[in-house]
Amino acid sequence: MSLALSTLLYEWRRYMAAIVALAFSGLLVLAQVGMFMGIGKAFTATIDRARADVMVLAPGSTGLFNGGPSGVPRRIMPVVQSHPDVVAVADLDGSGGRWQNVVEGDAARKTEFVQVTIIDAVPGAVTVPTDYSNDLIEALRQPFGVAVDETALGRLGVKLGDKAIYNGKTVRVVAVTRGYPNMMQAGVVMSRDTLRMLGEANTGDRVGPLMVSTKPGADPEHVVAQLNAQSRGQFKAWTRAQLGEANQAAMFKESFIVIMLGFSLFLGILIGVAITWQTLRGAIMANIKEFASLRALGVSMGSLRAVVMELSFWVGIAGILASGVLTWAVSLLATSSGLTMAFPIPMVAGVCVMLLVIALASGFLSLGVLKKSQPADLLR
Amino acid sequence: MNPNTVTHGRAGTSAIDAKGLVKRFKTGRTFIEVLKGVDFDARHGEMTMVMGPSGSGKSTLVAALSGLLKPDEGRVDALDVDDLWDHSAGRIDKFRLDNCGFIFQGFNLFPAMNATQQVMTVLKYQGVPKDEARRRAVAALEEVGLGARLNQRPDSLSGGEKQRIAIARALAKDPALLFADEPTSALDGENGQVVIRLLRRAATEHGAAVICVTHDPRLEAWADRVIHIEDGRILDDQRRTPDPNATLGSH
Repeated sequence: MSLALSTLLYEWRRYMAAIVALAFSGLLVLAQVGMFMGIGKAFTATIDRARADVMVLAPGSTGLFNGGPSGVPRRIMPVVQSHPDVVAVADLDGSGGRWQNVVEGDAARKTEFVQVTIIDAVPGAVTVPTDYSNDLIEALRQPFGVAVDETALGRLGVKLGDKAIYNGKTVRVVAVTRGYPNMMQAGVVMSRDTLRMLGEANTGDRVGPLMVSTKPGADPEHVVAQLNAQSRGQFKAWTRAQLGEANQAAMFKESFIVIMLGFSLFLGILIGVAITWQTLRGAIMANIKEFASLRALGVSMGSLRAVVMELSFWVGIAGILASGVLTWAVSLLATSSGLTMAFPIPMVAGVCVMLLVIALASGFLSLGVLKKSQPADLLR
Repeated sequence: MNPNTVTHGRAGTSAIDAKGLVKRFKTGRTFIEVLKGVDFDARHGEMTMVMGPSGSGKSTLVAALSGLLKPDEGRVDALDVDDLWDHSAGRIDKFRLDNCGFIFQGFNLFPAMNATQQVMTVLKYQGVPKDEARRRAVAALEEVGLGARLNQRPDSLSGGEKQRIAIARALAKDPALLFADEPTSALDGENGQVVIRLLRRAATEHGAAVICVTHDPRLEAWADRVIHIEDGRILDDQRRTPDPNATLGSH
């Protein structure tokens, strides 16, 4: 085992401050990345878990509902349907309006604006997300029955079985979904028939985005390419995966997220470098006489610098491990309260590299302290 | 004598020769001359003791001789290197790595490493292959009587044992020049005696030129030569017959 690694293992208490600083720098960034990615996942949940392989949207739109008008002219539907590989086409209708909970006595009444999406309440329909159970679909088949995500129950002031007022009409919470959090606006799901009975179904020239399923064995990318070839600027077809990515990317273009992430990245690096540098410096100073005795015996300054850099590398590795443990604990906590966090591999790899760079930069800054390893000082 | 021992030079031939060493230190606005034109030489196979009160310049002399501190004037010819201080810092490091052993008053051992690793570390930087380094480290530790302490870390060893590790670390290199600075002053009489005998052996058996700085007059018994230095000048230079069986009382 090398001098650097055995020193780190044996005198870990001395290096603990650096490792903890790195762990929290990592956590600061990873937790936010995880949260935004989790939100992003929720953002795209309706896309990722859709039964449709292909979605047709207005040109320029990157989301089913979030991010501007996404619908297409109604006459596009037969155009899409006529593609030989297409099995089913359905428009994803949606609406939105004022939600009020029904309270007894003089408890506070909640008023929220909600976003409504629909399913065709038939098992296997192209508008039904893949993770909807048959029981859930059956529950939504009841007139004026709506489903609310568990994370929105509190915000909407309802629980399963409660009545509520939506745009002045009474609806009932017949199901609670899981895994569809929405940070911006609470979402409500109902059947196409319920939306029609509420008088909000789309009957005009334009319909919502089209959900398209293709024949088994057909290549959705191929279908998308052929559909787009005949769009003449009226629509844009996407595969599910393409749209999911574009949707998430669009979210990350939101400047506030970039500012928040960028700021915490800056803060994480600043705090990480400051604490890790000072800790390494102190720890090297504590062994400065030993280093000086190696200098006396002829070990070059370059070799000692290599020892310090190796030491900071291992501190970085330890910091990454500690950061992983902390982030895992935080994500458990978040999951238990219904907030999903997501950690895409490239982001995690990026944070690992960041921590390693912090550690190595701190090591580099501490190299100056080796100048104090003057072997002549050992002679008195 | 252990089987790894390389005997350096022929006993009695010159190992180090310094002429006119001057070293000044700046304190405030004035310069203090610590070495005032010192001539010095030491021979293979001999223990040369440099004695003097504190502030006499004896440690500065050793630092200048061993390539640790550049003198302001004068030259040092060591082994086959003419005018050591005329070479680059890297070349001087290499000279020390190849030829010099150091024993300090403090032991300066890495707390994280066991006795064998302490000795092996320097050998590793010399480019000795790992197995060979381990063999030489164990042999050196056995030579200083620590064969039973190979895997102990400094915190579980006594002061005398730590100093013996430091000696093993210096001896494992088979240095032609061995510098010791107050090697016994942190030790009790018994351990001090073990340490001075090991240094004596390094000279007699390994043929190293041992240069030992001390203020303890009782160590004179082991020396071939005693040089008294005071106020930056050599006062006297006596040759004597060492007594390897001398004893050192507790001090």
